[in-house]
Amino acid sequence: MLRKILFRNSTNFQFIFATLGALVGLTALCLSFHLILDVRSFHSGEEELFGPNQIVIQKKVTKFSTLGMNSTDFTEEDLNELENKEFIIDVAPFKSVDFQVAISEVKGDGLPPFYADMFFQSIPDRFMDIDVDWEWSEESEYIPIVLPRDFIMIINYGIAQSQGFNQISEELLMAARLNIHLKGEKKKDIMMGRVVGFSQKISSILVPESFLDYANATYGSGTPLPPNRVFIEIKDDSYGELEDLMEEMNLDIAKSAIDVVKVKTIIGVIIGIFGIASILITLLSLMGFVQYSQLALSKASYEIQTLLRIGYSVQKIVKTFISSLTIIFGAITAAAIIIMILVKVFIVNTWLDRNGIHLEESSILPTILLALCCFGLFVGANYLNVRKTVRNLGNSDKR
Amino acid sequence: MTIEFNDVLPYPLEDYPHGNDSVWKNKFHLNFPKKVVLNASSGKGKTTFVNTLYGIRKDYNGAIKLDGKDISGLSLDEWIELRKNKLSVVFQDLQLFPELTVWENLILKNDLTQHQSEERIREMLHTLGIGDKEYMLCRKLSLGQQQRVAIIRALLQPFELLLMDEPFSHLDEGNAATALKLIVEETNKNNGGFILTTLGSYHGYEYEEELTL
Repeated sequence: MLRKILFRNSTNFQFIFATLGALVGLTALCLSFHLILDVRSFHSGEEELFGPNQIVIQKKVTKFSTLGMNSTDFTEEDLNELENKEFIIDVAPFKSVDFQVAISEVKGDGLPPFYADMFFQSIPDRFMDIDVDWEWSEESEYIPIVLPRDFIMIINYGIAQSQGFNQISEELLMAARLNIHLKGEKKKDIMMGRVVGFSQKISSILVPESFLDYANATYGSGTPLPPNRVFIEIKDDSYGELEDLMEEMNLDIAKSAIDVVKVKTIIGVIIGIFGIASILITLLSLMGFVQYSQLALSKASYEIQTLLRIGYSVQKIVKTFISSLTIIFGAITAAAIIIMILVKVFIVNTWLDRNGIHLEESSILPTILLALCCFGLFVGANYLNVRKTVRNLGNSDKR
Repeated sequence: MTIEFNDVLPYPLEDYPHGNDSVWKNKFHLNFPKKVVLNASSGKGKTTFVNTLYGIRKDYNGAIKLDGKDISGLSLDEWIELRKNKLSVVFQDLQLFPELTVWENLILKNDLTQHQSEERIREMLHTLGIGDKEYMLCRKLSLGQQQRVAIIRALLQPFELLLMDEPFSHLDEGNAATALKLIVEETNKNNGGFILTTLGSYHGYEYEEELTL
């Protein structure tokens, strides 16, 4: 009966307007939030090994380099300059072995007999976001190695055919052990190695920094080689500055390596704009509801004042009003989540599939939590507003 | 319940002369249970008296104390608690819900207090001659009928003091006497008292005290 009294004078138009606004806003908000989560989890395979926005840079090899007149090494000044760039977050020069290295198969591990000269490089562990055992110590059973993905392509589609041996799968290569021949000036050894991952971003053969330091100290000449490749991490949205830097320092960067990050950023920005727009719609619809309840309360001001005069408590009136709004908000939230899932499954996913884009499905739970937060915000904001208005009506006696 | 008036004078009545026996600008106190009548002609401030005592008007000088507590310091929640358990009222303008039926108007109050049984409420409706109007919307009733609904509503709660602002102004003497009999009966059941304002008629009842304005 209380409900009948309180809502009797409320207008349908404003209610429908606020409800539709809230539904559209909340659905768009949930959808954009969920898509942002999906895009964040999108990776090219490379992201499994390396963090976001990490790029390898090296100096361009020119005809002067070939003639020995122009070094592609990074000097101390070069590295300092890189570190001082505002858009560069982290700088890590590659370390290289300064002695001869070669690899060969371990008999019985399934690889065809081969022997090849090699080189090893390493980058600091903080750049290796790898979930395999990347630790190495002198007691370790084998040396973990990350190979460029192109390497296995060259073997399988080039060398294997021309040399007449069988092609090797990634799985086999990762399962087989390798003999690592370390040939220093004073000392020679054979150690065990194993391929633990492949990289598209880094066209180098990587070993743990701890192993490289040990090997250079044990087999090397004692004079560390200056770095000719540097791993850098840049801030989001700083590709323009990176291109200026490439120009300035005559750098060579594998464009494809940054394309994924670039596309991710662009999609992120677009969805972000969509997200901001949906936040605005949601907030506007929240204001619509606050206004609606304000209007409904002011139209029921005689009834509310009378209820307070015959002994009804502020809390009871507010509770009656808010419980009705809570049911409406609950229905809007549930509808928004359902519509969001339907749009995601039947429109977005279908479109992505048709265009060959496979996003890893992120959990729906954070999106539901976001929707529940919005629900809480709606109920909370309206509760405070309704309580204040009812109290004001109760205190609006002649003074 | 004790009521104390200490030089109380509502702002709108400041320019009028008030006698030595007037409730305005004087000191007096009332101890309830007691049946009190406030007899005065129009414009002397009967409604202002009721509304001020009920906490709806606060535009006055002086001090009013309820059970020793200055009512100007009572919060909204304290007033609501008083109105639910100790202080009941029949407003001059009735303040019913016109879009609700007679029964809904009464049940709305009784649901809050659980003071009377549904059977007793029906009995009261019959006593006051509106037993057949139970399901009619209040706005469709005559003023006299509405007045009787407002009287019954005021009796659907426990009270120590019942304030009534010209509750029989639209009733004939016969109906007024019947209503007053019911009011006295319920007041005694509550072990409470009342203050009834009137334009001159005593409706055939002997009050224990009379106030003037």
